[in-house]
Amino acid sequence: MAAHAAELERLEGPPVLVGRPSDRQLTEDLFQPVWARTRKGWLALLTVCAALTGLLFTAIGYTFAVGVGAWGNNIPVAWAFGIINFVWWIGIGHAGTLISAILLLFQQKWRTSINRFAEAMTLFAVMQAGLFPILHLGRPWFAWWLFPYPATLGVWPNFKSALMWDVFAVSTYFTVSLLFWYVGLLPDLAALRDASKSKAARVAYGIFSLGWRGSARHWRHWRIAYLLLAGLATPLVLSVHTIVSFDFAIAQVPGWHTTIFPPYFVAGAIFSGFAMVLTLIIPARKVFRLEHVITARHLENMSKVLLATGLMVAYGYLCEHFIAWYSGNKYEAFVFFNTRQRGPYAPVYWLMLFCNVLVPQIFWWGRARASVVVLWVASILVNVGMWTERFSIIVTSLHRDFLPSSWAMYRPTIVDWSIYVGTIGFFGFLFLLFLRFVPSVSASEVKELRRELEHEAHAPPHEPGPAPAHGR
Amino acid sequence: MAYVLAEFKDDQALFAAARRLRALGHARLDAHSPYPLHGADEALGLSKSKVPLIALVGGVAGASGGYLMQWWMNGVDYVLNVGNRPPHSPPANIPVTFECGVLLASLCIVLGLFALCGFPRTYHPTFELEAFRTASVDALWLSAEVKPEESAAVVKELQGLGALQVSAVEEAAR
Repeated sequence: MAAHAAELERLEGPPVLVGRPSDRQLTEDLFQPVWARTRKGWLALLTVCAALTGLLFTAIGYTFAVGVGAWGNNIPVAWAFGIINFVWWIGIGHAGTLISAILLLFQQKWRTSINRFAEAMTLFAVMQAGLFPILHLGRPWFAWWLFPYPATLGVWPNFKSALMWDVFAVSTYFTVSLLFWYVGLLPDLAALRDASKSKAARVAYGIFSLGWRGSARHWRHWRIAYLLLAGLATPLVLSVHTIVSFDFAIAQVPGWHTTIFPPYFVAGAIFSGFAMVLTLIIPARKVFRLEHVITARHLENMSKVLLATGLMVAYGYLCEHFIAWYSGNKYEAFVFFNTRQRGPYAPVYWLMLFCNVLVPQIFWWGRARASVVVLWVASILVNVGMWTERFSIIVTSLHRDFLPSSWAMYRPTIVDWSIYVGTIGFFGFLFLLFLRFVPSVSASEVKELRRELEHEAHAPPHEPGPAPAHGR
Repeated sequence: MAYVLAEFKDDQALFAAARRLRALGHARLDAHSPYPLHGADEALGLSKSKVPLIALVGGVAGASGGYLMQWWMNGVDYVLNVGNRPPHSPPANIPVTFECGVLLASLCIVLGLFALCGFPRTYHPTFELEAFRTASVDALWLSAEVKPEESAAVVKELQGLGALQVSAVEEAAR
């Protein structure tokens, strides 16, 4: 039996749940961050993030007051930081839905401990992403003109525009992510209500748990509802980033006018999103002592996804360059083989190649996948790399297009940087609040996972052959 | 109505008790657990969930509504000629049609879930029993909704079925 277990470990890697804690123990462990006293470190981080949030709203206020002239955008580079950061943030959001929804549909056991974390990240990332296109409108106070409401102006929006598709895609994505997250949260909110020690907490969690009683009649509906939301969220993720890529791909600008964009953007989004999940989850599991729930297996699997999507992104780069050469379009060839590689923004391009193509290759080695430090550094580099990719696509393509007479340089201003750094702070602020008030690992799902694992352990041992396809 | 609540040590004991009570003619039974129990639907005699149907209706309504909206707005009511494309061009309408379908389906799923479960209902008679709070943490409970005069008999029955603890609760006077 012991030999069998060792063989299984060799085949399947480390377990998805270390030990077999009792349900009560699990509840206490997972809810501990919620009930614990406020820590100084958490408060310090929250203060920093709150300050950055203040910077963000100051910069937004300034933009409102004086207009987008406060940004570095110009003609020809009309899309700059506003769109770079929009695409970057929304890409980060995608991994959350992917981990949650797609892995749920594929019945991957290693999803269970990290899905809520990832979903919360999605939600907060999409909030940041949503700010940028609205500010980029120039007259953000007319943002509601984008929606098809019966206006006294007697006009309707133009549905042939990819920007209109974007409005629908992003707002739908945010709504569905929020619903999915909340529905998944219900059982845990009820557990928080029942485990709460103060009247205030009991009332607050009581209201948000809507009266969940763990009833079999409710579980029956809940399970199918959760599964259906996952099923809807899966094509939704793919559609959102595809539509974001249409913003570029349906234009004529050399460097944008590419059919590889939709899959290449989706792969890039998942790539950067998984990197962000790792960036956040590695310190969090250490601080909240969740190593037995978020195990080495989770980190290893995520590093494998990082490697796979990194290779897809590398293929996208290769394809872009090949088509630029093969098509014989001299404008496109100029962008890819001259402007990006040797133009004024060349360092950004080479940094992008280093971070997105070279860095993930380290995960071919098992020791790199097992090292938390290597993973964390690599995940940050990938986030940087994906940001430079968006910069490269947007700014480098726009600043030198068809006519040299219309070439111009783009330099981000202090307001641009403030808004960008401010959104990172705002994201952190929301995320810290989430860690404090909501269990970051789904307790009810981990309990269910424990049952399944026990059930498997009691099943008659089979001959150690190829590992079963599920649960890997 | 009164509720009789009984805690059981595992799901098999709970299901057996549920089947027994159903045989005695108590139909308003429920199991309470911190995670979904496999086999509960069958033991309690629950029918299939209506959520998928609601989702389908929502999805179809959303997608067709989204498409019709675009056809009417851009093709009929306010014809906008951009780049000499046809006023009503189906390929350009696919993304928004899809998003509308997903959006309405999701909203219908969640609202349907709430309607079927009777949410929000933050007060429930079962909350009167302090020990019942373990139902969301680590314990398995069976609840039976009975007439107040029957509750004593049901309590006795459940004690005989090996429950760890049994209590009867009534809705608090408002």
